[in-house]
Amino acid sequence: MRRTLRIYRRSLGAHLRAVLEYEADFWILVVAGLLFQVLNLIFLSAVFSHVPALNGWSFPEAVLLAGTYGFINGLGPLFFEGTWRLAGKINHGELDYPLTRPAPVLVQVVSAGIGMHGIGDLIGGGAMIGWGLANSDIYWSPLRIGGALVLLAGSATILLSLIVLGNAASFWVGGNHPVFAMTLIRTGDMAKYPLSIYGVAVRAAFTVLVPYAFISFFPASWLLGKESAWIGLLTPVVAVYCVYLARLVFRRGLRRYDSAGH
Amino acid sequence: MSLVEARGLTKIFRRPEKDPGLRGSLKHLVQRRFKEFRAVDGIDLSIEAGESVAYVGPNGAGKSTTIKLLTGILVPTAGTVRVAGAEPHTDRMVNARNIGVLFGQRTQLWWDLPVRESLGLLRDMYDLSPAFYKQRLERLDDVLGLADLLPVVARKLSLGQRMRADLAAALLHAPKIVYLDEPTIGLDISVKDRVRQFLRELREDGTTLMLTTHDLGDIEDVCERIVIIDEGRKIFDGPLAQMKDRFARVRRMHLQLAEPTPAEKLAERLPDVEVVAGASPTEVTVTFDRFTHTAGQVIAAVLDVVEVGELHLDEPAIEDVVRKVYAGELLR
Repeated sequence: MRRTLRIYRRSLGAHLRAVLEYEADFWILVVAGLLFQVLNLIFLSAVFSHVPALNGWSFPEAVLLAGTYGFINGLGPLFFEGTWRLAGKINHGELDYPLTRPAPVLVQVVSAGIGMHGIGDLIGGGAMIGWGLANSDIYWSPLRIGGALVLLAGSATILLSLIVLGNAASFWVGGNHPVFAMTLIRTGDMAKYPLSIYGVAVRAAFTVLVPYAFISFFPASWLLGKESAWIGLLTPVVAVYCVYLARLVFRRGLRRYDSAGH
Repeated sequence: MSLVEARGLTKIFRRPEKDPGLRGSLKHLVQRRFKEFRAVDGIDLSIEAGESVAYVGPNGAGKSTTIKLLTGILVPTAGTVRVAGAEPHTDRMVNARNIGVLFGQRTQLWWDLPVRESLGLLRDMYDLSPAFYKQRLERLDDVLGLADLLPVVARKLSLGQRMRADLAAALLHAPKIVYLDEPTIGLDISVKDRVRQFLRELREDGTTLMLTTHDLGDIEDVCERIVIIDEGRKIFDGPLAQMKDRFARVRRMHLQLAEPTPAEKLAERLPDVEVVAGASPTEVTVTFDRFTHTAGQVIAAVLDVVEVGELHLDEPAIEDVVRKVYAGELLR
């Protein structure tokens, strides 16, 4: 495990150094990520200029929710960007070499790139979380701070697992672009608004079918003491399940891998 | 036990069977039909440690698929493989430490990274000690001229430079067995020579080599044993010299005659033998099957007609043999 982590870190580090060679590119991407979060904020404030609250969620609380979602979404490009290239790799038979190296293929795939717009998401999302927390009515204790951090880690794990899961579908779907993964992850964007505004079907699907709601809604509900707050505490359990599922699907997929040519 | 042991190795690919055009594609969505394609069909292969084997066959014969089965990239449909005691596709990690792989058509270098970073990542994956890594780099630099390439980003390398860097990447961990899939493809003569020289040195160091190639120079320069496959089946496996004996039936003798003699006159004395007039009236070329005629018989027959000044015999070229195999002539 330690060895795997070291390989992951070194690979990511090498790509980071490569990206930093292009300074202009770096700044453009960071600003782009930041702008995306600002757009989210503008949209939310437009909504809240007409209504004082959204199904019991105040403006700062909604900002906290959207900020959490944005922050966690920034982790994907920063730490798992390589995953998005899996479809192309399968299509072109580029998993041949990773399969002949003594390191887990998943680690080699996941660390094969880094997306700097993730930094913008982290900064923007982080700022929104900070402002949301400062302006919400939260009862703080050391236990709640610890709990919030555990849930945040769980949320991040869920999203990263979904990214792997969606992209691993390329082993079956084929094609050069991760269409399935794109759809899967972008659908989750609905989870940056309070889930209670959606109908029963969406709520059920986002909780049970694909647990988007555990990426931000349920953890935030727990922290803010909303209705059914206890569900948020299930986040780590859901995270473990997602990791298991993602690994299983990736492994099954890898056995199907046919390379290219013959 | 041999270093590489394959028994009844088979790989069947499933290909969608579609009628042409959009209509065919739509029909396939509803009514899925697949056609099976046997890329590798029951191949038995044993390679001893230290051997250098050329794996040869026409395009689509199943060469690359065999390499992918032996390296653990593909899971065989049937049959067994053992490489240094490990089953490649199940003991992938164990196998990976024993082998080095190069696919000449593709690079294993990280596209956006300088060569140095790629080699550094491989060092981490193979757990090479700093001292060992340094020593290997120096050794590889000696033979491949690596030093100039280290700071260059992989995508900026020329094909020849890329191949040198890729060879270094494949051999960094001093693997027991090296699989090379077309290691000289697209290279110019001077780089080709350098790569072959390097492969010979590797062989002399005791590394086991298996290479697929269309370049017959690679085979004669590097390999002692040749395995020919076609349509997924092995059709010859033995020493290079034996292959020439077995398949190079046709020999060619060039004769310098004492006086001008028409080819037809000689042909009368040599039934079943092709006699062609040369550039001048005193030159002829005789082509005969060495299983039906000996060189002595041919010379004797010619001497009955005319004195012979000089003669020389063409050695059977491996190129001719392999070309015939490719053309399907030897299978009939």
